[in-house]
Amino acid sequence: MMHMSNTVISVQNLKKSFNNTEVFRDFSISVEQGKITAIFGPNGSGKSTLLNILSSIVTKDGGKFDIENFNHFEFSYIFQNYRESLLPWRTNFENVALPLEIQNRSKQEIRQRVEELQQLFEFKFDWKSYPYELSGGQQQILAFMRALVTKPKVLFIDEPFSALDYENNLRLREHLQKYFLTFKPTILLITHNIEEAVHLAEKIVVFSQRPTKVLEVIDNPLPYPRTIQLLKTEQFHQVKDKVLSVFQKATNL
Amino acid sequence: MKKHTFIGPILLILIWAVVAKLQLVDRFFLPDPFTTIGKLFQLLASGAIIGDLIATLDRVVIAFIIALVIGLPLGLLLGRSEKIYRGVEFIIDFFRSTPASALFPLFLLVFGITDISKIAVAAFASMLIIIFNTAYGVMHAKKSRILAAQIMGATKTQIFRWILFWESLPQTFIGLRSAVSLSLVLIIVTEMFIGTTSGLGRKIIDSQITYEIPTMYATILLAGIVGYLLNLLFLVLEKRFLHWSAK
Repeated sequence: MMHMSNTVISVQNLKKSFNNTEVFRDFSISVEQGKITAIFGPNGSGKSTLLNILSSIVTKDGGKFDIENFNHFEFSYIFQNYRESLLPWRTNFENVALPLEIQNRSKQEIRQRVEELQQLFEFKFDWKSYPYELSGGQQQILAFMRALVTKPKVLFIDEPFSALDYENNLRLREHLQKYFLTFKPTILLITHNIEEAVHLAEKIVVFSQRPTKVLEVIDNPLPYPRTIQLLKTEQFHQVKDKVLSVFQKATNL
Repeated sequence: MKKHTFIGPILLILIWAVVAKLQLVDRFFLPDPFTTIGKLFQLLASGAIIGDLIATLDRVVIAFIIALVIGLPLGLLLGRSEKIYRGVEFIIDFFRSTPASALFPLFLLVFGITDISKIAVAAFASMLIIIFNTAYGVMHAKKSRILAAQIMGATKTQIFRWILFWESLPQTFIGLRSAVSLSLVLIIVTEMFIGTTSGLGRKIIDSQITYEIPTMYATILLAGIVGYLLNLLFLVLEKRFLHWSAK
C-alpha cells in the first residue's frame, strides 16, 4: 500500500512565455508537504520563473496553481540576489526583524525569535553593524535568518549557495538542514549543483529544456540528518549518478 | 580635509596677487587679495557686516525651511503615485526651468516690497527642486527590496515607511543641497533690488555704487564662504545619515 502524501503545492497546465520564448506549456508539478524538493535543470528552463509565478511576482499566461492555505506571513522566499534585498539602512538585527515588524510582533517577541534562531545557527552577528559591513557569506546567512525568523510553513530558496565558497556553502547547508529538521517546513530549492540537491532534498525534480517539462522526479531515500560524512559514501554517489543521468538526457550532453 | 584641498585656493590667491601686483587690472577695481581678506576681517571684527550676514542667513534659512516643509511631503506623495506625478510633471519642469529671478518682479507685485517676496521666491524655487528630487528618489527605488517586503506581506504604508522613504533619501539629499544653494543665490540677488535695508546682497550693491571696492570684494568673498559652508553642512549631514548609500 502506497503512503499517501500531502500535496501542498500543485501546478496544472501552466503556460508562460517571455516575448516569443515559450518557457512553460502544459507544465504540471506537485510538491509534498514537509519535504525539501530540489529543482534541478538546464539554464533557462524556468526554475526561477516557476517560483516567481507561485509567489505572484510574475503573472502566468494560463493554467492554474495553488499553494494550500497560502499566507504571506507563513511564507518566505530567499532571492538569488539576496544582497539587493537586504536593507542597508537597517542594522543587521533590524534586517532580520523586518518580517516580524511587518507582522506587528512585539519588540520582546522579535528579540526572542532572533535569539532562538541565532542559537540554531550557532552564529554570532554583530547585530548593531550594517549588512554592507558583512562579507558575502555573512550577508547570505543574514538573508536566511530573515527568511526563517517567521517560521514559514513554505519556503522558496533560489540558488542560495552559489555565491559562497565551499566551506560556507557546507555550513549553510547544515544550518538549513537543522532548521528543516526542527520545523519541517515545505521547501522548494532551486540549485545548479547536484551535490547540494542530493545532500538536502528528499525529492529531486529534473527539468527538461524549454518548453519545460518535469523529466523525472527522483526519490532520495538517504536518511536525515545527512552529515558531511554521508557525502563521501557509495549510496550518496548512487543518487547523484542517477540525477546526472537524467540531466544528461535533458541537455543531450 | 585632505591637504590637497588647499592647493586650489592657494593657487587662486597667488594668481590674484600676481595680477594685482603687476597691475594687469586697474588697482582701483581689483585690490590685492590681502587687502580684501584684511577688509573682510575688519568688517567682521568691527561688526559692520554681522547684521547683513545675519539678515541674509535668516532669510535663507526661513526660505529653505518653508521649501522643505512643503516640498518634502509633496515629493514623497507625488513619487508614490507615478500617475499623479506625470500629471504635474510639466508644471514642475516648466517652473524649475524658468529662472526664478525672472519671477521676482511678479512676487514683488504680489507680496509688495517686503522680506516676504524675497523669501517667497527663494522658497518657491527651492521647493520645486526638493519636490522633483524627492519624487524621483521614490519612483526609482530598487524593485528587489520592495518585492521582498511585498512577499513578507507588508502593507503599502509599511513599504512606504520602511523602504520607499529610505530609498528616496540619497536623491532627496541631492535636492536639499541644491535647494539651499539656490535659496542663497536668490536671496542675495533679490536683496540687491529696491527696498532692502540689510543683507549681503544689499551690502554688495551699496559698496559698488559708492565705490567701496574692497568692501564689495570682501562681501562677495563672505557670500561665497557662506555658500560653501552651507554646502559642506549638507555633505556632513549626508555622510552621517546616509552612511549606507552607495554601499
